[in-house]
Order: sequence, then C-alpha cells, then structure tokens
Amino acid sequence: MGGEFNVRRKPTAEPLIVLSYPDVYEIGISNPALQILYCHINDATPAAAERAYCPWPDMADLMRAQHVPLWTLETGRPVRDAALWGFTLPHETTYTNVLEMLHLAGVPLHAEERGEDDPVVLGGGPAMANPLPMRPFFDAFFIGEVEGRLDALVGAARAGTRAARLRALARVPGVWVPGEPLEKPVERQVFADFSDSSPVTRPLVPLLEAIHDRVVLEVARGCTAGCRFCQAGMWYRPVRERPVDAIVEAADEALRQTGCDEVSLMSLSSCDYSDIEEAVRRVGELRPGLRVSLPSLRVDSAAISLARMGSAQRGSVTLAPEAGRQPMRDAINKRVDDAMLTAAAAATFGGGFTGLKLYFMIGLPGEDDEDVRAIAAVTSAMRNVARSIAGGRARVSAAVSAFVPKAATPFQWERFAGEEEVTRRQRLLRDVWPRGVKLSMHDARAAVVEARLAVGGEELGALVEAAWRRGARFDGWSEHFSLERWELAAGDAGMSLQDGSESSASAAGAAATFSRPLPWERVIDPLLDTDFLAAERERSRSGVLTDDCRQGDCTACGVCRPGVKMDLAR
Amino acid sequence: MSWLVIRFERRGAARYLSHLDTARALQRTFARAGLQLALTEGMRPKPRFSLGLPLPVGVAGLDELAAAELAADQPGGSAEILARLAAAAPEGLLPLAVEVSGKRVRLEPLAADYECLVSVPAAELLTAAQEFAHADSALIERVSPKGRREVDLKRFVVGVDVAPADEGSVLRFTVRHRADGAARPDEVVRELLRRAECEEDVASLVTRVNVVYDGLPVGAYGRESERS
Repeated sequence: MGGEFNVRRKPTAEPLIVLSYPDVYEIGISNPALQILYCHINDATPAAAERAYCPWPDMADLMRAQHVPLWTLETGRPVRDAALWGFTLPHETTYTNVLEMLHLAGVPLHAEERGEDDPVVLGGGPAMANPLPMRPFFDAFFIGEVEGRLDALVGAARAGTRAARLRALARVPGVWVPGEPLEKPVERQVFADFSDSSPVTRPLVPLLEAIHDRVVLEVARGCTAGCRFCQAGMWYRPVRERPVDAIVEAADEALRQTGCDEVSLMSLSSCDYSDIEEAVRRVGELRPGLRVSLPSLRVDSAAISLARMGSAQRGSVTLAPEAGRQPMRDAINKRVDDAMLTAAAAATFGGGFTGLKLYFMIGLPGEDDEDVRAIAAVTSAMRNVARSIAGGRARVSAAVSAFVPKAATPFQWERFAGEEEVTRRQRLLRDVWPRGVKLSMHDARAAVVEARLAVGGEELGALVEAAWRRGARFDGWSEHFSLERWELAAGDAGMSLQDGSESSASAAGAAATFSRPLPWERVIDPLLDTDFLAAERERSRSGVLTDDCRQGDCTACGVCRPGVKMDLAR
Repeated sequence: MSWLVIRFERRGAARYLSHLDTARALQRTFARAGLQLALTEGMRPKPRFSLGLPLPVGVAGLDELAAAELAADQPGGSAEILARLAAAAPEGLLPLAVEVSGKRVRLEPLAADYECLVSVPAAELLTAAQEFAHADSALIERVSPKGRREVDLKRFVVGVDVAPADEGSVLRFTVRHRADGAARPDEVVRELLRRAECEEDVASLVTRVNVVYDGLPVGAYGRESERS
C-alpha cells in the first residue's frame, strides 16, 4: 500500500532502483537489509530507491486479469522501468516468488532473453552462499555484505545502456555476472567499516500491522561461536561490533522517528556483544515503559549477561539450545550444558523478561530418538524454572526446525533426513511435549524442497521454473505450499526431489573425498577455508569442540586477511 | 490531563486502511510528535484514544473526529499540538484542527453524509434513486460473522440524490445512526446499483463528507456547516 511513515519519494531522481523482498508486504517491510539499502540509496545517493513486494495470490491473479504490471509503492511506476532491480534472497522457499514477481512485472524470466527496456536484475542476501539454482533468472548477483559497495552499484546503475550497466556492475568487487568468464571465484564482501557506521535511525514504519512493530538496531554483525549447521555464523564472519554510545544514540533517534515502544538489539548472538548489559540498561532508560528485546541468544553468554541486567526488563528473550542432549550439542559445537540452560532461563525471568522462546532442531547428523525426546524434557525443565520465578505470567514457547544442510558450513556434506523421517521425529516429539508450552514446527514437506535447493547446482533453475509454471508461489506459507506440485515439477524437469543427482553435495559420499569441489565452490569464495570446514565436520563426528576466537584461540577458519578482521567494541 | 478533539482527513491510499490500523497510525503519530497519550488503568493499559465513527475500508473521510487524552498539558496549546501532529502524520492522514477541552469529550455519531462517484451515467441512476426515496421499505441481506439478517435500508438512509459528474455520476446520501444500528455505505450503493440494473463490477469510490455528532454544534472544530 505504501504511504508509510518515513517513506522516501524522489520521483525525478535518476537512476530508479527498485528493491524487493520476495514475500508479502507484511513480511518484507520488516526486513532489516532492505531498510538499510532503502535508506542509504535514498538519503545518501542521487538515485531513487522504491519498493515492490510480492502480491498475494488473489491480488496477483487480479493484476494478470486486468493487465496491471507490478508497480512501485512510492510512485506507482512500473517496476520494469527501473535501471536496476535488486532482490534480497533470504532462503529457498522464496525462489518461486521471485519468478512470480518477474512475471508480474513483465520482465522475461531468463536473463538471456531480456532486452534494452528491461531492468538489470540483481540478487543478493543470505542465499548467496549458493545462488546457483537462481542463476538463469538473474543478470548478476552480489555476494556478501553490500554496504561497502553500494555507491559503486548505484554508479553502475547510472550507465546509459543495459549492456553498459552490466559491464559496470561486473567491475564492482563482489559481483558475479553468470556467463562472464571467472578467473577465480567471487570473493564474499565484508563490510569492514561496520563498527564505524550508523544503524538505520529513520526506518520505514508501516501503517498496516506488520509482524514486528519495533525499532531494530543491529548492534553487531557476525558470529564465531562456530555452530556447525549454521550458515549465518559461517557466512557473516568476522565479528564486528558497534560502540555502545552509538547504539544508545541511534536508539534515541529511531524512537523519535518511529514512535515505537520496543527496541530490539539485533545480531546473530546479542549476549556476545561486549557491552550488552550497558546497552540494555541505557536503551531501556530512554523512555518510560520501553521494552527491550534480545533476539536469538546463545545460552552460555546469556546465562551470564541476563542475570546482570536488573529487574526492570520487559519483552522476550530467545535462546537456541538446538539439541536436547550433550553428545548432540558437542557434535554441533554448542558449548552449553543443562546447568547453563537452567541458569539462562532463571536469569531471563529473574531479570524481568516475560517471555522465553526456545529454538531447537531435529534431523541433525547422528541424531537418535532419545535426542528428540530430550528436547521435550529440556523444554519442560525450562517451563518449570519459568513458573517457579514468574508464575502464571511466564510464557515459554518453542520452535523446532528441521535440519537442512547449507552451503559454506561444515555440514554442507551431510544429508537431509528426508520427509518421512522428519515427520516421524516430529510426531515423536509431540507425543511427549509438555503442556502449556506453545510448539511450532517446521513443515517437513517444505524442508524437502529447501534441502534440494540449498546444496544443489544450477540445473535446479529448471526445477524452480517448472514449479512456478505449475503454480508454486509463497512456498514458505503452509497454506500455499504443495509438495505434490514440486514433485510433478521435478518430473517436468527430469530430476528427482531427493538428493542423489549428479551435482548434489552428498553424492560425494561419506568417504572423506573432498577433492571434488561442490558446485558453488567454482563460483563463490566464502572466505572460509574448505579444509577448515572439512576438519570441523570430522570434529563433529568425534564430538570435539572448537573455540570461539572472540575469547579463545584463532581457529584458522581462513576469513581474516588484510582489510577483514574482528572488530570488538571492547 | 487534557482532552483533545482532533479533526482529520483520511484520503489517498490511506482510505484502504482498516479502522484499527487507522487508530494505530494516529496513535503512532502522537508518539512521533512527542505527545504522550494518557493510559487507561487496569491490567493492560491502553492509550486513551478513540475515533468518533469507524471509517469502512475503502472510504475516504474529509471530516473525521478523534478524541484523545494527553498524559500532560502541552505548553503552546492546540496550535502547537496541531503543528506537531501535522509534521509527524503519514501522508493520507492529515490533522486539520485540534481543540483542547477541559473535560472528557464523548463523540456520539447521529448521522453521516456520503458522496460516491460511480462510473454510470446519472440518467440511469436517477430513476432508481427516486424509487428508493419513495419506497416504504428496502430490504437487503447483511452477512456478518454473526450470521445473516435482513436490514431495511429505509430505516437508516435519507436524502438520496444523483447528479452528473465527469465519467459518471455522484451519488449522495445520508446515513442515520440509530440505537439499532446503521446502514453501511457500500450496502446503499450496491442496492441503488441493483435497482438501476447496473453491471456487477461498476467502479465506485466512496467519501464520507461529514459526520454529525450529538451535542456538538455545527461549525465546531472549524468544520463547515453540514448539508441539512
């Protein structure tokens, strides 16, 4: 709908850059990456950044029936008029929405079919660890964090012709133009000046109710705890923190600009942030009754920090124990034990927080049924701690996801457990689940598709297209996702949904033959050494822990180099 | 504690907001203006803020009222409050006037005037409008989450007239708000189009031109006098 608080309108500015999150408005409007790009391009460059999200199916169908092409929210211009159209790709279940949006905009799906009047379509975001399945549909990809190269990208978008824009883009470090010969894999870009940069203080605030109605401040980027399944932890290294003064100042300004009554101090692991206690205290004091939330915390650091935060907190805390028993935790390199979990839960409620969210994962390599049941036991223990401290006011909930192997992680060579097995373990868990704790679970059928796309090669573009042609969209929404449709699409594309095809990573087998590169390794350099990832996989099998280089020794992961290093606030 | 009445407009894309989203957006406007709303007492404090009459989704409003209570008096009075609200408001929700009152204001709607642009020539609608005006009753079916029931539009709708406009006509009518309810503007438009035997998918754009509140004098809060 547009018309948000803090919307930017530059109808005569050139070039026009359209930014898209491939999901419905209510989800996309809260995406922090788009907020960063939108604000910078509009406020600090001569270009205009306007937005388009994926219309809900009923709207999309009406648009097609009435021949109304996808338009931008700011000025209602056709998205096709843009010089550059940037998508942030968060995860595999949004891929069909990208095709949906391209089609609604009247832009040819295949990059090679686009002409002078079509925008250059650029992809970026977390899925860039393996962008291959989307290769046919994008003119270019940006690999890694874009802030340091944004001005160069905007400059490239100003070039007069489409070919000139693409040529200029190809010269920007971090850009991969499929089809252009590569001397070496494209290096993941790291925003080295993160610590000196300011968070977004004048974000878009929707008029409609969005999923999150709070100020989001990125206090740090990157995480070196080294959980072996975690793509974000591997992909966003090294750790860089913002100084606490900058955070407090930004919070004050953002509250003024948004009228929100909650601040979320965001990072991959906020209790690892050096000055978290001071940040929570000082931000909380900015307004009467202000809520401060801390999204996904690591249990070991949380236990210590939360206890020191004082009793005036509100909002919720999220902890990610992931596994129910110690051997499994060791295998995934989670350095926590049950005592720490209990302490963290106690510290949460003792610190005055009113809600505790727990993240778990099933289907991990080496997991057995006892591990799965232990998740319920751990949750039950957390609930008891919550009740003993906060009584009826305590809210505990849990989300259990299904492990999907991801590129650029030590587990990239592992297998997805399969729909049947994941469903069986989910049922097992439900049977022993404690009462009074909300449980939400990952759709096992959607996980089949995610797993196929996450570690597959460029031949999967045909699968994504076939699925979309059969009507797949909003695959992240259970009301729209259909595994049958994807299975038929796989038939159309002449492939199988289960891994086992030539390009699949796990076809490399359990034997430690890492000599054959994984499909994306020819194109993407995550900055991590493959030897490090392989060694981590070995250590997971023997249950050996690896240190966090923030506190411990360097683990020689390969990321740090001239211009790329850890940058802590203290 | 100071009670305020705010007169505002809702137009443009903002006409598609729900009543709750409109209320939320206006409350957020207060927050962005640095004006703290007083809160209700009790388990879940809510801001002391209410809209005089909900605006249906899709309906623009030229003369809407909201009542609010501030947590503290504002130096600078109503002029200052209006300036700050106007600066903090999103496009499409425009504060027009603010009046500070010594006591709590209750907004009780009595009637609302509507104008609807339809893409149908006036001549086609005129007969239907006249028939409607002279009819003893006009029953329609109202479907709601509570179920289906019959509603007699004639109980609630007066002053129907049609005039030509660019690309169609302007339909005007007034809805009376009574103890047993009111008519929804889309119900009135749909019924008149049905009587004129128009096609199903006629484009129509409804604007609420003003609202008459019990006990509030005509011309209060800078409003022009209503049509009688």
